[in-house]
Amino acid sequence: MPWRIAEGGTLTVPAPGISFRPGELETHPDGTGNLLGSRCRACGAHFFPIREACAGCLSDDLETVRFSTRGVLYTFSIVRQSVPAFEVPYALGYVDFPEKVRIMGQISGCDFDDIKIGMDMELVLEPFGTDDEGNELTGYRFRPVEADND
Amino acid sequence: MTDVHVVGVGMTRFGKHPDSDAADLGAEALHGAVADAGIDPRLIEAAYCGHVFQGMVTGQRILAQVGLAGLPLANVENACSSGATAIREASLAIRAGENDVVIAIGTEHLTSKFSGALTPDPSDPEAAVGATMPGVYAMRARRYMEEFGMTREQLALIPVKNKRNAAQNPLAHFRKEITVEDVLASRPIADPLRLHDCSPVTDGAAAVIVMSDKAAKKYANGRGIRLAASTLRTGSVDVEPTSMTYEPLTWKTAKEAYEKAGIGPEDVDFAEVHDCFSIAEVLRVEGLGLFEQGQYPWAVERGEADINGRLPINPSGGLIGKGHPLGGTGVAQVVELVRQLRGEAGSRQIEGARIGVAHCRGGKAVGIEGAACTVQILVR
Ligand SMILES: [Zn+2]
Repeated sequence: MPWRIAEGGTLTVPAPGISFRPGELETHPDGTGNLLGSRCRACGAHFFPIREACAGCLSDDLETVRFSTRGVLYTFSIVRQSVPAFEVPYALGYVDFPEKVRIMGQISGCDFDDIKIGMDMELVLEPFGTDDEGNELTGYRFRPVEADND
Repeated sequence: MTDVHVVGVGMTRFGKHPDSDAADLGAEALHGAVADAGIDPRLIEAAYCGHVFQGMVTGQRILAQVGLAGLPLANVENACSSGATAIREASLAIRAGENDVVIAIGTEHLTSKFSGALTPDPSDPEAAVGATMPGVYAMRARRYMEEFGMTREQLALIPVKNKRNAAQNPLAHFRKEITVEDVLASRPIADPLRLHDCSPVTDGAAAVIVMSDKAAKKYANGRGIRLAASTLRTGSVDVEPTSMTYEPLTWKTAKEAYEKAGIGPEDVDFAEVHDCFSIAEVLRVEGLGLFEQGQYPWAVERGEADINGRLPINPSGGLIGKGHPLGGTGVAQVVELVRQLRGEAGSRQIEGARIGVAHCRGGKAVGIEGAACTVQILVR
C-alpha cells in the first residue's frame, strides 16, 4: 500500500502518490504537494489552472509556478447530493491564496459545523479515487490550519 | 437596418414527458408557434435549435418530423443559455438582411439524460474535486448571507413567490403553492440550499418565430412584439478573485442590451431571470441593475417582485416553478414576455407591462465568472 498514516492517525498522506491531475497538482516524495498554475512574467498576474496567455495583458510569456499552500476560506457549502464518483456529504470551499488566485477544493480535517468563512486553510494531500487501472490516486483537500492544534 | 419582431410563440407543457423525446417536444412547440403566428409554415426560411444534451442534429430531427427539413438550420449549445442563443442567432439573421422569417427552438428531454445534481463538464478542474452546480450556488448564497445579512427565511421567499406564480401558469412543471416552512423542511441539497431552492429536472420545449419589418407588416398585422436587443457574452478570465455576490457578466450583457434598446434598467416593467437556484434570482436582478446590490431579499419581503408589485420578477414561475429544460428555458422566457406584453397571460397578467427583460446565464468553467450570458429586451 502506498499510503502511510501520519502521527495521530488523523491524516493519511501518500508517500509518494500519483497525482489525480498532474497538470494541476504536483506531488512530492515527502507526501507534500503544490497546486500549479501560471504567472505572467509581463504583469505578474497568476492563474489557476495553467493558461497559455494572460487574461490581464494577453502576454504569452507565462511561467508555471507552485502556489502557496496556505490561504483563506472565501466561502463553502456542505454538498449532500452529487455524482456517483463522490461520496456525500462532503464540504466544498473556495480558498483565496496570496498569489491572488481562488481555488476550489474539498475541506477535510474538521467537523462541518466548525467551518467558517475567513478561516486560514492549508493544502493537504489525500487519497482521491483510483484511475482506470485501479491505481490509487492522490488529490488535494483544504484543512483548517487550527486543526493542527486540536 | 430592420427591427426584429417576435410574431409567433409556442411551448409545450413543462414537466416530465416519459412518452416523448426532444424532437417530439420541439415539434409540438414549433407547431404552437406557427399556429400562434397564423402563417403558412413554408414561409419559415431558417431555423436555430438550442439544446444541451440531446445529441447530434436534434434540430434536424424536429424539422424532419414536421416536414420542414431542407431549411438551413444550426444547432446551438451554450449550456443553459442555448435557447436564448438560438433566438439571438435568429435575430442576427434578420438584422443582417439574410432572412425575413426565422424560427428559434429550444428543447430538452432532460429526464432521460440525467438526474440529480448537474455538474460542470468532467474535464473541468472544479468538477474533478466535486463541484456541482447546486454546490457552487450554495457557496454564493453563503457568502451573500455573510456580506449582506440575508436570512435563510428571506431566501425561501423566492421559491415561495415563484411557485405561487407557477400555480397560475397552466404550462408550469409545478402547480402547487408552497410556504417558507415547506422550503425549510425540504431535503438539503448543498447547505444552505434545499430542494425547493433548486430548479427541477424538466422536459420541455419552446419556439418563437421572428420576422423582419417587412415580413411582420405583411404577415403579423401589427401583432409582433419588438425584440429591441438580444445580447450575448462570455465571462472574462479572473485576473484576481472577484466578488461572488455580484455578477459583472450579467451587468455587461445587460448594459449592452439597454444601450441597444435605448432604455435603462429603470424603464423595465418586469423580467424573467435565470433563477436556476433561489440565490441566483437575487444575483441576477442585482446584476441586471433592477435592484440595488444587497437589497433584493428585502424588496421580495415587501412584495416588490410579486406579479402585482413594483417590478415583477419571474411571473411565469421562473426556472424554479415553471421548470428548467436547459435548451428550452431561454426560449420559454421570451414566450412569457410576449404573452405578458400582448396581455394574454391570464391570471398572472402584469397590468400595463410595456418593456420586459429576459436573462439567461449558463455553464461553469474554471476561472471564468460564467460561461454564457444572454439578455433580451422586448418592447410592446
Ligand atoms: Zn499579464
